[in-house]
Amino acid sequence: MAYVRKNVAALTASERRRFVNALLELKRRGEYDEFVRIHIAYYAADGETGLRAAHMAPSFLPWHRRFLLELEGALRRVDSSVTVPYWDWTRDRTTTSVPWTGDLLGGNGRRSDQQVTTGPFAYAAGHWTIREGVTDGRYLTRDLGRAASPIQLPTQGDVDWALNDGVYDVHPWDSTVTRGFRNKLEGWGTGSGSASWHNHNRVHRWVGGAMLGAASVNDPVFWLHHAFLDMLWERWQRAHTSHRYLPAEPPGAGDAQRGRVVARYQKLPPWDDTPDRMEDVSRIYRYA
Amino acid sequence: MTDGEAVGARERAREDTTAGPTRRRVARGLLSCAAALSLMPVVAAARPVPPAAGPGGDSFDETYRGRHIQGVRMPEAGRSTSDADWRITVDGRPLHLMRRADGTWLSMVDHYTSYRTPLEAARAAVDELGPGQRLRELAPGPLGGARPGSVLDVVEHLGMDMGGWHGVRA
Repeated sequence: MAYVRKNVAALTASERRRFVNALLELKRRGEYDEFVRIHIAYYAADGETGLRAAHMAPSFLPWHRRFLLELEGALRRVDSSVTVPYWDWTRDRTTTSVPWTGDLLGGNGRRSDQQVTTGPFAYAAGHWTIREGVTDGRYLTRDLGRAASPIQLPTQGDVDWALNDGVYDVHPWDSTVTRGFRNKLEGWGTGSGSASWHNHNRVHRWVGGAMLGAASVNDPVFWLHHAFLDMLWERWQRAHTSHRYLPAEPPGAGDAQRGRVVARYQKLPPWDDTPDRMEDVSRIYRYA
Repeated sequence: MTDGEAVGARERAREDTTAGPTRRRVARGLLSCAAALSLMPVVAAARPVPPAAGPGGDSFDETYRGRHIQGVRMPEAGRSTSDADWRITVDGRPLHLMRRADGTWLSMVDHYTSYRTPLEAARAAVDELGPGQRLRELAPGPLGGARPGSVLDVVEHLGMDMGGWHGVRA
């Protein structure tokens, strides 16, 4: 029987409390910081050498699907009633709407140093010390909406622009492609300035602070954001049933992308799973 | 790391699709980069350094919003790849940059946007640093929790009936 991932706005007070408490318990045990380290370790850029599993690559979506399952499994070992909720940033768009409430993730960072001072993840509450950060700051930081140079969250139109592309991804399978659902959702654009950040990337930037850096997992909104992206992938799959993960086969000899991307039946490090296996998780969970 | 080791690591990465993450090699490399950085003032003193290099420059050294940012392009001798390596510091602490396929740069501080030059990326990183915050070296650390396992392990942990799921498209 598959469990259900809900919109964070629909969680009851009890569900909110149990989700937050399970996160705090993982943090207390030291397990949470491991997730921060994994995400840092598997971030490889496409202008360098080596395999790209997590970003700037077709496996962006299955890698994060698998990563979410790992976190969710850890949460459910703490409390079997917990699932990862999703944040629909096309609907909950202000700095005071969910999930930025005192009973969920707490609010914006304060103006002086971006420190989150409200909610369960505030440094002063004593349960959320940053140990794997990019800076030596020990507290969680946010800059919702980017006060110094404001930007808006992506809209439903931005999401539709990605969902309406019937091809999963296109060669050379990196951050430079302008077609394909994957990069339209991941959000690497061309040029510079605010017009060049789309969907996934734009949300990281809108939240700011810890979410902007390599150690973005330090902000638990990371999981709510990626659960929503995961739901959009599922929605894309339902809308384009004849289309699947690409590339189906590894790039051929002589292709510069050979050995640099994960093809449909190749392992998705650090796990033994393949993108093929991650395409249908309906036996594990579904979205409500 | 020596050039020979760097080339070896790159070749291994090309050949092995299950190669470990680039970042871990980078993190290990940073230990020796730190050693290289300690030599940087000597290097800088030994040759003229332009105040702030634009695209194509080999180094920069400036104070930006009260932060001392320095960058030096490292020699590429012995490398078969075209990507240049830069050693950047902010107030003396290393700022690791990554390169996108379109030639732009992103930093550890700002990982979801890229910039035309290493200098622009370094300034953007400073823009995000809160007052009093300093860059921290990210240790490679043990990845003990990254269990190379199957999603089936998760299913098992969850105590679920996985019958049928295993066979999906298998």
